[in-house]
Amino acid sequence: MSLTLTYFPVRGRAEVIRVMLKDQGAEFDEKVITMEMWTESTLKASCLFGQLPIFEDGDLTLYQTNAIRRHLARKLGLYGKDQREAALIDMMDEALQDLLNKYIKLMFEKDDSGKEGYLKALPTGLKPFEKTLSSNKGGFLVGDKISLADYALVLLLIHHQVLSPPCLDAFPSLQSYLKRLCARPNLHAYLHSDDFKSRPIIPGKRA
Amino acid sequence: MGPYTITYFGVRGRCGAMRIMMADQGQEWKEILMDFADWMKGDLKASCVFGQLPKFEDGGLVLYQSNAILRHLGRNHDAYGKDGKEAALIDMMCDGVEDLRLKYGKMIYQEYDTGKDPYIKDLPNHLDKFEAVMAKNKTGFLVGDKPSFADYSLFEVLLNHLVLCSSCLDTSPSLKSFVEKMSARPKIKAFLGSDAYKKLPINGNGKQ
Repeated sequence: MSLTLTYFPVRGRAEVIRVMLKDQGAEFDEKVITMEMWTESTLKASCLFGQLPIFEDGDLTLYQTNAIRRHLARKLGLYGKDQREAALIDMMDEALQDLLNKYIKLMFEKDDSGKEGYLKALPTGLKPFEKTLSSNKGGFLVGDKISLADYALVLLLIHHQVLSPPCLDAFPSLQSYLKRLCARPNLHAYLHSDDFKSRPIIPGKRA
Repeated sequence: MGPYTITYFGVRGRCGAMRIMMADQGQEWKEILMDFADWMKGDLKASCVFGQLPKFEDGGLVLYQSNAILRHLGRNHDAYGKDGKEAALIDMMCDGVEDLRLKYGKMIYQEYDTGKDPYIKDLPNHLDKFEAVMAKNKTGFLVGDKPSFADYSLFEVLLNHLVLCSSCLDTSPSLKSFVEKMSARPKIKAFLGSDAYKKLPINGNGKQ
């Protein structure tokens, strides 16, 4: 399969796609679009919703990060072992998107005034995932294999540890999950690569 | 599959699309309508994985998150495309509808008085994406040749937008025809004409 990701030179919404593909050892090309290229070309007008990322899988062109992620999850066997697990994975992933949207909103704020309130609310957001991991003996959010939802959670946790190192102190299952997943050989290599480390979270905001 | 149960507030809200989908698919379901005062007592809320409704039961499987529920129904009722490619395109369209729902919800709940007119003015810029897809596909559905969960979600959000502004589809002939055809499907027509549908306000704050 020939896979191409087109996105800005940031982590943003597409990083979770990169993390999943890297961990799975799936080769893909990247087309980097600078803000200049974005505002001065006809690319934006050619995108279905006027947004990036674009993802190409052979002759299939997809927009919408989560549609891209689901497509890859189906291809790579990251969507549970049956329909029931798929539904639970979707449920976890949708809730993680709610958290991600709040995080992205915070990242784009011009100053730090929202950070205190955000961090105060964060434990409420993380608690369901702590609870799920502590009760699911399989070691992942759903079942006993890594899924679509796990990649969303692991990246969210990585970024939140940067935002506020003590934020996982009250969550032992999340801590051990994060440690274990980040030790996966491909993922470990990627997270320590210049490729990942040098890419800002959003324009102008380094990790 | 089944029996199906929805536990939600007495509004259409984030259950509107799944109800229309189940109705069209000839499915019965039980409704547990939650009074807001009871909800605030907290017992049910504490038992919900993310502290939110809707809660959906398919036999012994309990699900939360409205789009996860729609996808589950899509798998149950062959409304997720005929192959992986269609499934991906359906996901893409449903995600686009979700973006529109978020904008609509923000306007309704946070900025109705000042935001309604600018929202309506900006609406064609968002609807034209769906218009283009619908016009190109020619089958009367967003993807493939039968309704998917993305179609039910789009249909429901367009019904709500027609209440907001009855002329909002006038410049989108394919979407207008889509709404007319979906509304005329016998089981959808019956559901939309039912007290069960009509008695519920669209949104929790009474704005529409």
